[in-house]
Amino acid sequence: MLDQLLAALTQYGSPALFVVVAIAAIGVPVPVTLLLIVTGSLAAQGSINLWWAIAIASVGSVAGDQIGFAIGRWGGKKLVAKFSRMLGDAERIKKLDAKAKSWGGAGVFFSRWLVTPLGPWINLASGAADYSWFRFTLWDILGESFGAALFIWLGHVFSDRVQEVGAIFGDLTWAIVGVLAAAFLGWKLFSGRGPAAKQTHA
Amino acid sequence: MILGFCLAIGATFFFGYRAGRTARHVRWQDEPIQSWMSVPYVAHTHHTRSELLFQAIHLPPNPRDRRPIREIARAEKLPVAELIRDLRKAIENANPPGSEGIPPSRKAP
Repeated sequence: MLDQLLAALTQYGSPALFVVVAIAAIGVPVPVTLLLIVTGSLAAQGSINLWWAIAIASVGSVAGDQIGFAIGRWGGKKLVAKFSRMLGDAERIKKLDAKAKSWGGAGVFFSRWLVTPLGPWINLASGAADYSWFRFTLWDILGESFGAALFIWLGHVFSDRVQEVGAIFGDLTWAIVGVLAAAFLGWKLFSGRGPAAKQTHA
Repeated sequence: MILGFCLAIGATFFFGYRAGRTARHVRWQDEPIQSWMSVPYVAHTHHTRSELLFQAIHLPPNPRDRRPIREIARAEKLPVAELIRDLRKAIENANPPGSEGIPPSRKAP
């Protein structure tokens, strides 16, 4: 599938970019970081205007995020549960539901570009948790614009090395997700909040 | 939860190590030619003129031809692997081993 998406991006440019980033933001697992880096490379080759690409990627991502948020907000809990089961993890949405309010803007901002695998879940959880639409949209626009500018610029600078740069950032993203998960689970384990720690205390 | 904690630490080291390893080799490897790339794209990543590559696959030079290699292969009724092999050969001839790739703009007119 990745090959087809990259081929569409190479051939059709900005319309393909808009569609791909939007479906990625809704929750379809697409390596959007690599696609943005390839877009930067295409901009360096003159196939697409750099600023136009950043704008299209930002608008497409925000549109997809808004759909995710709307599903969470207006679809109701049942639809959210069904959607999250369809994507393979119903438990995660429940946990993020509580986290959405406490993380607030920072959670929305950083999940747009730093821990992108969490982005679609944060959208759903923010909508379902009645997080302010205005604040969500504000942080969403900031995060997506920053992410699009960062990765497209990287692709522009390393335009002859996009696959390697994409692989590095893909791995770094998962390493950061691993650090966050380890920190969260470690905190639960060692602060006596998790089941294992409770058993130890008993 | 202990298992999850161990998995998270393992994943962090695995992906961190892989990112570091890729970063170390990034300057020494040629970008592999993929079927989604267009001919001008391949020319750019391998610092070669696109005209040379179009000629190598027996197509009229057209820098605006953004069709992916797989699309060209389908139109020309050729296997993708054959086109990639021809492109690779043309790149090797243009940039012999040991020579630095020269950006297209700095090549001879």
